[in-house]
Amino acid sequence: MSAAAASVALFERDLRAVARSRSQLYSSMFTPLILLVFLGTGVSKGLEPSNLSAGNFTAYLVAGIVVMTSVFSATFASASYYRDRDSGILRMFLSSPNSPRAILLGKSLAGVLIGSAQSLAVLLVAAPFVEFEWQYGIVRGVAMAVAAVMLLNVMLGGFAQALASRIQTMQGFHLLMNLALFPLLFISGAFFPLEDLPAWLEILARLNPLSYAVDALLLAAYADGSDGYFGLAVDFAVLGLLAMGAYALGLARTPRLTWSGE
Amino acid sequence: MTTVIEARAVVHRYGDRTALDGFNLDVEAGTVFGLLGPNGSGKSTFISLVAAMERPQAGSLRVFDAEPSGDLKRRVGTVFQENAQDPLMTPGEILTLAGRLFGISRSDAAAQGTLLLDRFGLRDRISDPTSTLSGGMRRRLEMARALVHDPDLLILDEPTTGVDPGERRALWEALGGAADEPGPTVLLASNDLAEADSVCDMVAFIDGGRVVATGTPAELKRGLRRESVRVTWTSVSEDQLAAVAVWPGVGEVVGDGDEVRLTVDDGSSLVPRLFELAGGAIRSVAIEPSTLEDAYFRHVRHRAKAPEEVPA
Repeated sequence: MSAAAASVALFERDLRAVARSRSQLYSSMFTPLILLVFLGTGVSKGLEPSNLSAGNFTAYLVAGIVVMTSVFSATFASASYYRDRDSGILRMFLSSPNSPRAILLGKSLAGVLIGSAQSLAVLLVAAPFVEFEWQYGIVRGVAMAVAAVMLLNVMLGGFAQALASRIQTMQGFHLLMNLALFPLLFISGAFFPLEDLPAWLEILARLNPLSYAVDALLLAAYADGSDGYFGLAVDFAVLGLLAMGAYALGLARTPRLTWSGE
Repeated sequence: MTTVIEARAVVHRYGDRTALDGFNLDVEAGTVFGLLGPNGSGKSTFISLVAAMERPQAGSLRVFDAEPSGDLKRRVGTVFQENAQDPLMTPGEILTLAGRLFGISRSDAAAQGTLLLDRFGLRDRISDPTSTLSGGMRRRLEMARALVHDPDLLILDEPTTGVDPGERRALWEALGGAADEPGPTVLLASNDLAEADSVCDMVAFIDGGRVVATGTPAELKRGLRRESVRVTWTSVSEDQLAAVAVWPGVGEVVGDGDEVRLTVDDGSSLVPRLFELAGGAIRSVAIEPSTLEDAYFRHVRHRAKAPEEVPA
């Protein structure tokens, strides 16, 4: 029996679990969309920013909101690790002849697919209401957006799994995810452009993995006329490397089965 | 008969605590073998070694004539003390997933799952979320799940804890399955002595990390001379009672009016002799078998406060 078959079985099972958990599905989609509508409209009316590549603030926010959706989704996906541990079904998985890594792989791939699908759905829902200009043409632009979103989700999925396998309680996990990811979101260019920031904030933005995803999405969807904050080559190189690194880290520590429970 | 599990002088420690201390055991194929002992006696540790979750630190342990390894998991089904179920999944989905994790194709796993749900009386709940099943149904589902890949060895850890007597019987009957197909060897860890007495072919009492007695439940009880025979007489003389008291295999003889209570090795062989002695004077004879619990307390030291057994 191949480990792939087991991974696929768990991948499908986790997809079904999310589809069945409606509240999770809706909240991770609607929260970002509501933020987009209210924050975008309000700030656009109030501040009328003129130096945004996307023309108006609501359109500008789309890229950041897509990244935020991925962050939410990765958090929810890793919560399924705790749910499986606490319901006992993780022990059933581990008592099968598959390596713990194949089990984690199947579960985390489902999380990556769901996160990517939700993030791209936000992009799709927003599309009729904002003017994407697709400076590289719509096909290449969409392909770039899909690639950026998938790399981002692989990275976030790996990071979240790495935390989940090291933190005993789900409350602790959520606390740490919120502590780490919300500040990262705020200094990623998701809510305001990174240009003309104070030096210390700019350094933090450059160290922030999410900045590269926001930059790639902005470049893919709009006609910036420039190379963006980092440039596509840097964006994809950083996202690709971090995705590989974080995913390897996420699969590095596997749960251990003991007869009396963990 | 083939030996499925062979343990010789197995030693296993967790830090300073010795969980298994020269553990010897033979489990023959096709038997239901009960491991009985107080908490902390070493049952769970031994099971975790058999299930290849840990390796023994000393001594020899062979399962299916090989050292326990990851490959062994294909031949083993496990029912943990706690249910291993996702409340959002249905019994059909759980069995199909379990089968696929053991390398069975989706369609075969689904078909096998349906057969098992039928056998365990859950066919009509195949599409209900497991959160809607009763406690007994969930334990039956656990048993079905452990059997979905047709294991040669089934490890059960307190499978009927918290299950009502009717459900308990249904579970064991379903596990027995069809008479024409041999079931797996069963290793049962339990604290329920009455259940072990009724379902186990062989029993080992475990205490302090060692097997302190092993045998069939009948053998373990027979050594006790604690089967009791209650005889009601119309009249009985002192001489007759004195004669009975010196028969081989008879322990105490206690008279109370018309009723005499005897403790004996084997009540059924005593009855014909009683009738030979005083057939016309006997009104009734009742044999009350000694329980496995009596045997257990004879072999296992009673500890009011046993430490929790938690392999690290």
